[in-house]
Amino acid sequence: MPVYVDISRCIGCRSCEVACKRVHGGKGHVNVHMAGDRASVPIFCHHCEEATCTMACFSGALYKDGERTAFAVEKCTGCGLCRLACPFGVVWTDKLAHKCDLCQGRETPTCVVTCPANALSTDFEAASKRARTRAALVAAYGGRV
Amino acid sequence: MPKVLVPTVCPYCAAGCGFFIAVEKERATGIEYMPAHPASEGALCSKGNAALEVLYHEDRLIHPLKRKGDSWTRISWEEALDLVARGIHGAMKERGPDVVGFLSSSKCTNEENYLIQKLARSLGSANIDNCARLCHAPSVVGLNRTLGAAGMTNPIADLANSKCIFVIGSNLAENHPVISRWIHKAKDAGAVVIVADPRLTHTSWMADVLLQLKPGTDVALLNGMAHVIIKEGLQDDLYISKCTSGYEALAEDLKDYTPEKVSEITGVPAGEIIRAARSFAISPASAVVYSMGITQHTTGTDNVQAVANLALICGHVGRPGTGVLPLRGQNNVQGACDMGALAEFYPGYRRADDPETIRFFSRAWNSTGLPAGRGLTATEMICAAASGEVKAMYIVGEDPANSDPSSNFTRDALENLDFLVVQDIFMTATAQLADVVLPAAAWAEKEGTYTSTERRVQWSHKAIEPPGDARSDLDIVCNLAQRLGLDFSYAGAADVLAEINSLVPAYGGITRERLGDFGLVWPCPTAEHPGTPILHSQGFKLKDGRASLGPVKYRPAAEDASWEYPLVLTTGRVTVHHNAGSMTRRSPSLIEREPDLFVEINMADAAKLRIADGDEVTITTPRGETTANARLTDSVKRGVVFMPFHFPGTNILTADVTDPEARIPEFKVSACRIARRN
Repeated sequence: MPVYVDISRCIGCRSCEVACKRVHGGKGHVNVHMAGDRASVPIFCHHCEEATCTMACFSGALYKDGERTAFAVEKCTGCGLCRLACPFGVVWTDKLAHKCDLCQGRETPTCVVTCPANALSTDFEAASKRARTRAALVAAYGGRV
Repeated sequence: MPKVLVPTVCPYCAAGCGFFIAVEKERATGIEYMPAHPASEGALCSKGNAALEVLYHEDRLIHPLKRKGDSWTRISWEEALDLVARGIHGAMKERGPDVVGFLSSSKCTNEENYLIQKLARSLGSANIDNCARLCHAPSVVGLNRTLGAAGMTNPIADLANSKCIFVIGSNLAENHPVISRWIHKAKDAGAVVIVADPRLTHTSWMADVLLQLKPGTDVALLNGMAHVIIKEGLQDDLYISKCTSGYEALAEDLKDYTPEKVSEITGVPAGEIIRAARSFAISPASAVVYSMGITQHTTGTDNVQAVANLALICGHVGRPGTGVLPLRGQNNVQGACDMGALAEFYPGYRRADDPETIRFFSRAWNSTGLPAGRGLTATEMICAAASGEVKAMYIVGEDPANSDPSSNFTRDALENLDFLVVQDIFMTATAQLADVVLPAAAWAEKEGTYTSTERRVQWSHKAIEPPGDARSDLDIVCNLAQRLGLDFSYAGAADVLAEINSLVPAYGGITRERLGDFGLVWPCPTAEHPGTPILHSQGFKLKDGRASLGPVKYRPAAEDASWEYPLVLTTGRVTVHHNAGSMTRRSPSLIEREPDLFVEINMADAAKLRIADGDEVTITTPRGETTANARLTDSVKRGVVFMPFHFPGTNILTADVTDPEARIPEFKVSACRIARRN
């Protein structure tokens, strides 16, 4: 159950950043990247199907747990290989590694609940249907009026 | 000790989002979301998520303080209240009650605002106002006149039912982020979004039609759109004849505003004006959302009238998905106005210059000598302080030294006072000029009601105790009033609310018992009334039940670029800060994301001035100068620069010219020049 981003909805308000940091004891796992003055996109762990961080992690601290890329902090040696291996720059080592844990223990990840613009969701079907509907509407309206 | 979840209302903007404060061992330890909330569905923006950071900040005021030369001495509440009572009483005894000015706070609860204006007026002073003067005074004046009620006509969530949303002069994506949620829902259902703003803002990312107009030309743009609508016969004739008055005069006046002429004034291509006008008029339900880009002008009231005209001629009022939606800034600025903390209105928008109002409240408050007529507005009080007509001021939860225009002048004016009391949670720039500083409780440390921008009155519960000796504003005002010989014996906020229920008709049925999870929407006149989310569906509370259309002429802003000051400065907000910034600049997770004052300059202008991105520059206007970091962008047009007003420097620059009716300063247009610092 990773978190999906609808980039057309992100308003660059950075509440996911602040909320993530708040619930993870001061270490946030989301960065909102501003694409010039025209768009923004929150960047965080994709929970890759073939996660390079898990491949690099020799101690087995990072591992796949179903869809989730999980992290067992007690096994972490703080070597930093995962940080180098991640193609998206969303695993950090700050003595020990830390990354998105999909807010284990909470019903829904915090960033998804707090997102004012509904840009984040855990439901892939809903997110993709919304994007398709919107594209169809734009086509149907012929570029609007 | 178990964790308790206490429901409260967010202390930042007026969207009125609710959240729970988790309290453990009498400390606020976390935030939990409120997914059932009708306006936010559990969402919170970055400011809301960081709200608890200010509660335990080391800068919180925890003792009453007295000025001693350049330093402060800690005093007891007894001594502080005696000093304040003596100061106010002394000034009034010498020269009459009008030498004392009161500024109430749109951050305080309805009950506190009600008591502060009652205190001022019971003492005989008509000079009571709040910072709505600096944000939505033109909406109060303009909408009361045209529609008969000052407030958003439709709820926030109703935007989802709209088929065309016209956002003018509002950067809601940054300033009221949860509202974009409802706009996106409307877009999912095929709505067209039109955004008019001098800048490309985060809100403009949502736009299908973008109108990037020159600052201060809103009336021309709105009139131009109305011109196109009437010329093409897209107006709603049935609605106009049934529900409005004054259409002929308006139509006649609009003849001059051809798209070509308007294009010349505003800098928006004529084709875009026509496109926007058609989209707005032909959609089955269109809403206009506006904010301070409309109001903070010398033509603020005209702008509001022009917005209302546009909605009314298309018949887009009084139905789901339509309406005129002013987005208010502070969490309780709507409530502060409803409660009569305004120079021209008593509670419930009863006019201060109407003798019937004075009779009504004299009887209700058992008081003689209530002041009749309009008092000094917030901006006028500062001028009167400078000229010596106002000798003492009691400022609750406001920071005019940062938030008023032309800060250097404001600061001198406040220093010129014989006696200044400031009641706040932090030592603001204004508090530093005070003789006595009273420590107040923040929102989580007291209870009471707040009225959000959609007129939703919500009860916010007390989660924790105030720090140190700090007390709630309600306690402080009641204690002070008693020292000044007034009978303010209220048991608590609920007690005050009961008095409000009996005196403000729109709040008649909004009793403590009925305020459940998400409050009630005024007008709610009786104890059985369900509240009125959509206004004006059954006509207007004006003569004949008709809304009044009125022609407005385009007048240029007070200042324009000149040889000496070639750039036009416009001000606004950024997403991680709020207003004068006394809270957000102390919030670590917000200030780290936007730590310094910046100025946005168009790349072409910057190249001419030999300014690179990140350079330190000096911005100068006739009022003063300030330094900021240059941020090169193409989101402002050539000739326009933008600065956020959350930092102390910005309002040194802005002009104190005001709208002739609503007395709002023109924060949005000041001529300036910029040079790189070496």
